[in-house]
Amino acid sequence: MSTISSLRSSVDDLREADRTRMMLFALDNLIWPILLVTFVLFSLLLPEIFTQYRNIRFLLYTSAGLGAITLAEGICLISGNFDLSVGSVAGFSAMAAALFLTEWFPGMPGVAGIAVLLLVGGSIGLLNGVSIAKFGVNPFLQTLSTLIIFEGGILVLSTQSVYGLPASYLWIGGEDIDLPLFRPIPLAIFAMFALFLGMWFILTKTRFGRAVYAVGGDEDSAAEAGIDTNRVVILTFVISGVLSAIGGLLLTGFNGGATPTLGTSQLFPAFTAAVIGGISLFGGRGNVLNSLGGVLLLGTIGAGLVMLNIDPQIIQTVNGIVLFAAILLYTFVQRYRERLLSDL
Amino acid sequence: MTDDGPARIEVRNLQKRFGTVEALSDVNLELRDNEILGLVGDNGAGKSTLIRTLVGLHQPDEGEILIDGKPVTIDGPKHARKLGIGTVYQDLALVDQLSVAENMFLGRNPVKKLGGILPVIDTERMQEEAERILSERLDIHLDPETPVEYLSGGERQAIAIGRALVSDPDIVFLDEPTSALSKAAVDHVERLVEELQNTGHTIVIIDHNLEEVLSMTDRIAVLFQGRVVDVVDSDEVTRDAIVAMMVSGQPMGATESVGESDSASSPTA
Repeated sequence: MSTISSLRSSVDDLREADRTRMMLFALDNLIWPILLVTFVLFSLLLPEIFTQYRNIRFLLYTSAGLGAITLAEGICLISGNFDLSVGSVAGFSAMAAALFLTEWFPGMPGVAGIAVLLLVGGSIGLLNGVSIAKFGVNPFLQTLSTLIIFEGGILVLSTQSVYGLPASYLWIGGEDIDLPLFRPIPLAIFAMFALFLGMWFILTKTRFGRAVYAVGGDEDSAAEAGIDTNRVVILTFVISGVLSAIGGLLLTGFNGGATPTLGTSQLFPAFTAAVIGGISLFGGRGNVLNSLGGVLLLGTIGAGLVMLNIDPQIIQTVNGIVLFAAILLYTFVQRYRERLLSDL
Repeated sequence: MTDDGPARIEVRNLQKRFGTVEALSDVNLELRDNEILGLVGDNGAGKSTLIRTLVGLHQPDEGEILIDGKPVTIDGPKHARKLGIGTVYQDLALVDQLSVAENMFLGRNPVKKLGGILPVIDTERMQEEAERILSERLDIHLDPETPVEYLSGGERQAIAIGRALVSDPDIVFLDEPTSALSKAAVDHVERLVEELQNTGHTIVIIDHNLEEVLSMTDRIAVLFQGRVVDVVDSDEVTRDAIVAMMVSGQPMGATESVGESDSASSPTA
């Protein structure tokens, strides 16, 4: 037995370490018990109605677009970056694709519109990524400028909502799917779960995904280990742009058309959901599946407040309070984590 | 060690500037086959910069690097690995959030094709390999799934060394491999270095502990303000003579004659 490993060889120490690890696991996945408690709380406040199919459906359906945009923010945060432009990218790409299908090239199939939408989102992500990785622009400033440019860009394209889109374009965000032995479920809900699972898979099972964590955890170390950190950052922003655009697609389907304000109010909830899901603002830490928990928590609170007949204007304030509480909580969790780690 | 044939690595007139700071100036140095070369010098003498230039993290402003007599441009750590160089960095270059195995295979995770198409990390193989390298080469037994942030300083250093061995390099650079280790663990690393030499490896080691350097190395290169002061055989030098070179920036003969003022009949070379 080597001297190094004999440092903590005694059985008692190991048991202690196991307990500490279990504690760390619980801290890392805190969102799920919080979601459960919140859900139970609203179910008690709104007996019978809150747990109805209609409400659960509403809760999940309204979460789908936000879910995609939360993933877009989440992957940037994990890579140690920041993306303020997720909401405006969603809105701009949705508007560009809607005009493409109705005014610029009417009669084109919906799938062409989806291709345009993804291309626009990916290109804006590429612009962000290249500026940040190659030119060393601060991510906050870079994505703030793209936020402003494309927020304005939406209004340059159209100040009116665009309707009359092909059914095939609206299908994924707007249609229900009939299930045997169950009531119809919006396709967007499946799309959301698929996106979360897909991104979880990419981030945990592929070389690129582990490189995203490595770059976010310690960029210098990642470079010393031979990772092309610029490539990883650029690709991260491209994916973020594509996910934002998919968010725009889901929201278009939900609304039945592209509205100029479709993505505007999405940035802060997406950010909040990612953070309360435990994705670290400092990069390298967090599980995107937990950020789904964050999305569902915001959805639960939103649906609950609506059903309690609380003024919808208050919901944003409530989201802000949730974010504030989450940041406070995670600051304490982080300190507690470090204490636990130093005990290991 | 033999002096036959070209050096494993040779640097000629290597220069590296950071702004106005000349980190390396006109460095000439040979790394002979199968030797253990120590790099010593004060902080800022250019030891780490030299290593980082040799693995392509910095590109030299002037000068050449030759591997086995052939001039090479080293693009980065990945390229250095392909050229047979493994590196343990001073800062260990570990990512806290990732596991032992993921850190050891960072940037080169073994991949398998899921369903014949989708390339995913072959976690099982990676963990087996990591465990095997740590236990066989370093005699350390760790769960390869443990995040490295859970580990002690010594264990972390062991992972960093294990990582340098993953690509089975011929040449190993060790930048202060023992700084966070206990005395017993240091002995362990010394035995490992010895074993690496016995199995044909060529090693460069940076270490602040001069006793360790003297006992481990065949030759010692002393750096001072970005240049090589002198390269001496470890058997033929004392700790005090090295310190004198590190402080004065003068080669061995010169420092001794300075020490003995104007006595021209100094008996030692």
